[in-house]
Amino acid sequence: MPLRIELADYGVGNLHSIRKALENCGAEVHVAEDMALLERAECIVLPGVGAFDRAMERLRPHGEAIVERLNEGVPCLGICIGMQVLFQRSAEGASPGLGFLEGEVVRLSAPRVPHMGWNEVVTADAIMDGIEDRHFYFAHSFRGRPTDGSAVGHTDHFGSFPSLFRKRNVYGTQFHPEKSSSAGLAFLRNFVRFAEGCA
Amino acid sequence: MSLTKRIIPCLDVKDGAVVKGVRFLDLKDVGSPPAMAEEYERQGADEIVFLDISASVEGRRTLLGVVEETAKRLFVPLTVGGGIRETADVRAALNAGADKVSINTVAVQRPEIISECAKDFGSQCVVVAIDAKRRAGGWTVYTHGGRRDAQLDMVRWAKRVEELGAGEILLTSMDADGTKDGYDIAMTRAVADAVSIPVIASGGCGSPRHILEVLRETKAEAALAASIFHYGEWTVGDVKEYLRRNGVEVR
Repeated sequence: MPLRIELADYGVGNLHSIRKALENCGAEVHVAEDMALLERAECIVLPGVGAFDRAMERLRPHGEAIVERLNEGVPCLGICIGMQVLFQRSAEGASPGLGFLEGEVVRLSAPRVPHMGWNEVVTADAIMDGIEDRHFYFAHSFRGRPTDGSAVGHTDHFGSFPSLFRKRNVYGTQFHPEKSSSAGLAFLRNFVRFAEGCA
Repeated sequence: MSLTKRIIPCLDVKDGAVVKGVRFLDLKDVGSPPAMAEEYERQGADEIVFLDISASVEGRRTLLGVVEETAKRLFVPLTVGGGIRETADVRAALNAGADKVSINTVAVQRPEIISECAKDFGSQCVVVAIDAKRRAGGWTVYTHGGRRDAQLDMVRWAKRVEELGAGEILLTSMDADGTKDGYDIAMTRAVADAVSIPVIASGGCGSPRHILEVLRETKAEAALAASIFHYGEWTVGDVKEYLRRNGVEVR
């Protein structure tokens, strides 16, 4: 049985690339328009599309149940905004986040914002095993500031900031693996293997 | 290590097909935007831009299908521009699979569209394209594919689009465009120094040396080029190798 992933459709944007990429890794992907489906998911992917408040508007009614599932060990990957909603709050939005990760999302402080383009992720985490060139695609003006030690990878853009997060069965990326060509596809393959191992 | 400079091939698409000749593909794939985009990704392109030059609504609709087809095969960002008239067009392009949408004439006519799109879809997917031409003491913005003088100062307009929430500026020199004599360095520098959002230099590229010049002599973060890649004179990989040898960080 392939891993079945619920891909949350909470914003306007491109879900084709992430869906195709995960399918190429052997997963079965269902695009969830109803966020209630996340409460019963075997694996959750929160994609990097849309804005913080709009995504939280959709997720909020199911927030507690989703976090409960994550605490029970359901594997999850949050990408960009999908990672940021895992925090308690964000400077980008008025709504509180899901609060699975402790800390907040703050404005990226740099002379060039958005941080847009390909940059390196420095990490010792096993999710990057086998990936030699660790340049990934970024497109963001905000970034996570965890207080629970969940930052496991960093990137430099006029100063270092956390770009890869992990708390037990949950990964978050500030970069877009689905837009990061072969490095990104290798990352997603590693995530799918990891998620299969969580079952 | 830090943010690398981006190399962006641009494809002109009309009624769903690429219009300029591309020499590196099999005959059957010539004219197919998804196949070309995929080939450029393989060569190491950091992003792809589709510029829709369809004159008709029908042609634009065809483009959305092409974007969807491309997004399923492409794993680098895709920007779609040309003929965007309202927020609904931006939404449709994003839903079809574009990662960013480039707006030009409509932004000059109705600047609020920039903030509306930034709020609804996020600044990172709002690219404002500025076409400008040199005049005494500066540069003037043109709209309607370069046909109409908007009577706006380029640097002031660039600052304004940043304030309104644009995530990036795609800056084309109308004087340099098509000449293959190199990017307009002074113009690119004027905008890249004035704003804090990323600037993509465009217009005039005829060789890897031109890309090196604009990336080294200005704060532009990316260079867009069409013909040097299409005719197979240089692959994206060749250009990146050349840049690397000359001390420019690329992926």
